[in-house]
Amino acid sequence: MKFVNNVIEDLAMQVSLNPDTEEGLVVYNLSLIRNEDLDTVTALVKDAFKSGITFSGYVKFVESGEQFCGHKIRQGCTGYFSICSTTLDGVLVRKGIPLTPIGGGVLEVEKRKPTRFIHMILYKATTIDPLQVLTAQGVTRILDVMYTSNGNILANIRECHMEAEPQITQTLEEMSDSGFPGIIELGAPNTPLLGVSISTDFLGVVAAGGTNPMAAIKEKGMWLETQAMKGLVDVKSMDWIEDF
Amino acid sequence: MIHTERKYIEILRILKEHQEPVGAKRLSELMAERGFVMSDRAVQYYLSYLDEMGFTQKVGNYGRILTENGTSETERALVGGRIGFIISKLERLAFRSTFNPDTGTGEVGYNLTRVPEPILEGVISCFEQVKRSGLGFFNGYRIIDKDPRIPKGNVGIISVCSITMDGVYQRLGVPVRMAFGGRLSIKKNSPDCFLDVIAYSGTTVDPLQIFIAAGLTSVQNIVRTGNGVALANVREVPAMAEGIIKDVSESMVKCGFNPPVCVGREVLNLQPEPSRISIVSFSGMNYIGNACEQGYKLETEIGAGNIPFSKICEDN
Repeated sequence: MKFVNNVIEDLAMQVSLNPDTEEGLVVYNLSLIRNEDLDTVTALVKDAFKSGITFSGYVKFVESGEQFCGHKIRQGCTGYFSICSTTLDGVLVRKGIPLTPIGGGVLEVEKRKPTRFIHMILYKATTIDPLQVLTAQGVTRILDVMYTSNGNILANIRECHMEAEPQITQTLEEMSDSGFPGIIELGAPNTPLLGVSISTDFLGVVAAGGTNPMAAIKEKGMWLETQAMKGLVDVKSMDWIEDF
Repeated sequence: MIHTERKYIEILRILKEHQEPVGAKRLSELMAERGFVMSDRAVQYYLSYLDEMGFTQKVGNYGRILTENGTSETERALVGGRIGFIISKLERLAFRSTFNPDTGTGEVGYNLTRVPEPILEGVISCFEQVKRSGLGFFNGYRIIDKDPRIPKGNVGIISVCSITMDGVYQRLGVPVRMAFGGRLSIKKNSPDCFLDVIAYSGTTVDPLQIFIAAGLTSVQNIVRTGNGVALANVREVPAMAEGIIKDVSESMVKCGFNPPVCVGREVLNLQPEPSRISIVSFSGMNYIGNACEQGYKLETEIGAGNIPFSKICEDN
């Protein structure tokens, strides 16, 4: 058993994404959906991307029997690979920015603006990914956010030392401008962010959970199985959601 | 501003604990007990703000009650303060548990499950399976139907909350810390290893309810084959309490409780804490987990109150 903050750090060290050139290794989540749901799921993931609640626009759909990243997709299922927001931690860590992953939770959204976290599970307190399990608690309202601008989404928070603020700002801009628009909020130093307290001399960074589309699929009543933070993949081998 | 929010949430929390309307004067007394000293006038000011927000509602001249929105606000606001709150809430029940395992008397803490009448029979057979397999915290439960908290067409099932054990230790002068809720792999009816744990101190959602809702238990498999995944709690007590644990466990077993799954400095795959002993025990939530695995959707309030132990032991 490994606590999730350690899992994140282990993965973060292996991320090699250069947001400027959009090359390198990123962290992925693997979900299985039923073959017959593929069209509905694709449309839903596209809508989720448009409404800005996915971490990244990179995806990969893999047919039954085919292999991707060493996973052979079982019969009757389609593999849906998406990018995990741990990738952001990786990019920051690899730039030498002091970072502590705090936790994952449910973020309330009003008129498309985040208002506050209403649930939080600290990474150092859990061995299972908070966003993976919160998907099943009936506390998300992803579809409401997508179609009415008010609801709850999954999001996570980390804190970085304020000394690195210029580098953090620059990195977040680079990420947002490339295929990773899911950064939600950058807090001021020494200030709680969206209801979560931050250590002295640190500032908070909130990103949309990579599992928001999965939670939306669940809310629609479709079957889905997800394993978050599954491993690393070259971003060049993924497809762009808007091309479907 | 943050300070203000803390105060208005405390008012909502107080109202939530009362089933009857509470007046402004009484509220200002209760606030003071909790460390928020405010004049009646200030309380009035907050209350009119809360009325305006639709969180509270005036009931004639009796005082205020919480609206549905108000209840939901207490479950959403101040996320930072709510991390670990599940346990702070249960600590109160532990403190009020007067259960004495030597005499089998006193009060225990309980969980309350609401069961719609049409599925009652199915749910009870699931509870019976868990009882027979000894996978609960206490080997028994009590069915109630006359309680204002049970909506029409529903029946309540009371199961003993394992926080009762914390109460027993506290009364014996042993500091006890509820560390984790976890899912425990069982092989051939013996504990094998924890598959996942969540620390109570780091979450706003109950760990065991998380595992149940995410479909990560297989209590039914244990019942049928002796292999599966059950819910368990991990408590930590000072190492010098080793002798007391044995005595307490023995007398609790005599009262109908299941013995701890394991006790020790290094148990299963848990990271040992220096000079602390871990007590792993099955959770009463295995009753509910088994029913949920069978497709029964149940609502359970963990730590719903205290009740005399003798009432739980009466025949259903």
